[in-house]
Amino acid sequence: MNAGAGSALWLLKHEIRMFFFNASFGAKKKPARRGIGKGGAALWIGMFALIHVLAFMLLREIDAGAGLAPPHALVMGVSGLFAAAFSLMMSSGLRASVEVLFERGDLDLLLSSPLSSRGIFSVRLAGIVVGIASIYLFFLTPFANAGLALGHYRLLGIYPVVINAATIAASLSMLFTLGLVRLLGVRRTRVVAQVIGALSGALFFLLAQAYGNVAGSVRQQVAGWFAPLLAPGAALGPDSVIWLPGQAVLCNFRPLLVLSMIALAIFALTVRFTHRFFVHGAQQAVSLARVAKAPAGGPRYRFGRSLAQVIIVKEWRLIARDPQLISQVLLQLLYMLPLVFLLLTKGGERLPGLGAALTFLCASLTAALAWVIVSAEDAPDLLRAAPCAMRNIRRAKLIAVAVPAPVLMALPLLWILTRNPLAALLLCGTVAGSVTTAAFIAMWCARPAARGDFKTRGKGNVLGKTLELLNGLAWSGLAFLLLMMSTAQQSSPSPWPLFGAAGLAVIAAAMVLFGYLSRTRDN
Amino acid sequence: MHHDAAAALKLTALSKHFGRPAVDGLDLTVRQGELYALLGPNGAGKTTTLRMVAGLLAPDSGSVEIFGIDLAANPVAAKQNIAYLPDEPMLYAKLKPTEYLEFVAGLWGIEAADAAPRACRLLDWLDLSRHAHELTEGFSRGMKQKLALAGALIHAPQLLILDEPLTGLDAAAARQVKDLLLEHVRAGGTVVLTTHILEVAERLAQRIGIIEHGRLIAQGTFDELRRQTNGGTLEDVFLQLTGQS
Repeated sequence: MNAGAGSALWLLKHEIRMFFFNASFGAKKKPARRGIGKGGAALWIGMFALIHVLAFMLLREIDAGAGLAPPHALVMGVSGLFAAAFSLMMSSGLRASVEVLFERGDLDLLLSSPLSSRGIFSVRLAGIVVGIASIYLFFLTPFANAGLALGHYRLLGIYPVVINAATIAASLSMLFTLGLVRLLGVRRTRVVAQVIGALSGALFFLLAQAYGNVAGSVRQQVAGWFAPLLAPGAALGPDSVIWLPGQAVLCNFRPLLVLSMIALAIFALTVRFTHRFFVHGAQQAVSLARVAKAPAGGPRYRFGRSLAQVIIVKEWRLIARDPQLISQVLLQLLYMLPLVFLLLTKGGERLPGLGAALTFLCASLTAALAWVIVSAEDAPDLLRAAPCAMRNIRRAKLIAVAVPAPVLMALPLLWILTRNPLAALLLCGTVAGSVTTAAFIAMWCARPAARGDFKTRGKGNVLGKTLELLNGLAWSGLAFLLLMMSTAQQSSPSPWPLFGAAGLAVIAAAMVLFGYLSRTRDN
Repeated sequence: MHHDAAAALKLTALSKHFGRPAVDGLDLTVRQGELYALLGPNGAGKTTTLRMVAGLLAPDSGSVEIFGIDLAANPVAAKQNIAYLPDEPMLYAKLKPTEYLEFVAGLWGIEAADAAPRACRLLDWLDLSRHAHELTEGFSRGMKQKLALAGALIHAPQLLILDEPLTGLDAAAARQVKDLLLEHVRAGGTVVLTTHILEVAERLAQRIGIIEHGRLIAQGTFDELRRQTNGGTLEDVFLQLTGQS
């Protein structure tokens, strides 16, 4: 695709390239060659072919009603899937809007060029659309292609629907982000948009988990509430616009046309009415400094803390003031909510599985914090130049790393303590073990990095990431077996879980040993 | 002059190789209460030398003594007396100046009674008091450099090691920093700095050392260096000594 320098197409190519680099598809380890290499391309092509095979096998089992009007149940199901995909698209759109507005830092260059601000905004928005759409086209179009091969031509609607949905999600995300800028200012917008982006991505998972885990009677009650609304002629009946996306995916012409027109209209209106404010928002982002009102009586200090205290306070402050980091860690914690819900509703019968999951999540959270606090230290030279032993600094950092996960676990553990003290004690042990070993492994295997690389922290440190994962799995397996034995009703239990627990304890110890042996010179 | 003063910094046969020699058998003594400027072309080994003095790099051979304390043998005691300020300020974007100074004072174990008045005085002096409750991420380059300098001075170091301290500062900020350094020396402190702004070295430094390929090729007062060459400005002297004229 040849595009003249300075043309909209040329700028769009630049936008798309930037979207994928920022989505970490590029090889960050080799800055001189950031595109996808031959090996990477082969991997993506292989994965694309594999999805085709899976889609073919799946669709062969399903009667998609070739040539006939699709049954309403299918339309409802497809609409539900559309809603899930759309919530994820909104999440991507919000992240991309924050990124292009506040973080990429190339708007001064673009706005000082002889291109119109409207053109720049249109292309920037189109870049987000293409970026979002291509991810979903990659995973969903194999179903359309496989459907075509099986005679289910209706699934070809996936192509236009994904593009339209990406257009709507990108436009709404940009409108929402710019609206937040107007309401809250740039600084708060970054925080709020990133947190909402993380929440909207997890929303569907949480709803599905909540519905799947409630008691059958509750599900029947919910179904009872919705039944009158879903009846023909009711608000959510078969003719309701709420099912329009599902009908569009299944290639019904009118819904498809309506969805396309909505997407085009939202895109055009977003560009028409917000491109000036986009420029304004971009200018605000450049002068992002918060001018805080100085407190009366001059600056206040809290000197006199010990070395450990100043380091712990510093680490927690830096994390608390990093909304991007919080939203990413928050996302991990959000996935714990269904587990806590399960614990409260079916704690007795599913305790081993829940204990295992909680132990694994504690290890993951601790490893993530350890990366932030140890690897992504902003001023390592300041610490090295200080007249204190590095082991004391590392000890303080380990405390900062290890405290949050057990604190978050305190409530579920207390709840278990009231029901099954022995199980609570065992879970305390596995949580403490997983947290401590995860922190040590992350510290020993730490490689200097920038905080902004949090999402790609596994790259370039395969050994550390592998040890971290195996350590978490070993401790969670151990938690499972110990809790299973503690809740077993038999009078003469099988010795195999005990052997399994001993084996997992050995694996966990081996991971710690490997971590210690592979520690860097500084550690 | 301070010819009889004890050594604040003594480097003996100091060497560091990164594939090729970066610092090559460097012998250098800086006396207490003097401002010493270390000059040299790019890649001469100035920053490597300062990083070894600050304890950030271990030398391949040779020794660093700070007020008679061997840095390798007793790093904690040696570092207690020095502050290092690199050309890129060692700051935390998400901390406020007050919090940054609390952190640095904590690292150096300074008592609250000493640190609080010193912090207020430094922020006032460097014109940062009205920004004391803003995150440093929004600061200009000059403000960041001044805050880093405040951090370096919060523990009242006897020896200040500064790598290009005036880079990126406007005229007013540069004047503030120069005044502060002279005040530090007047109060009995010692300063070792590198700079590419030769006029600064000419005006501020009591002695100047010129380093090339990791070795000290000339050292002395400005007048002594002029006598070793055909005279002129420090720029002329520097270019003649480094063979770039």
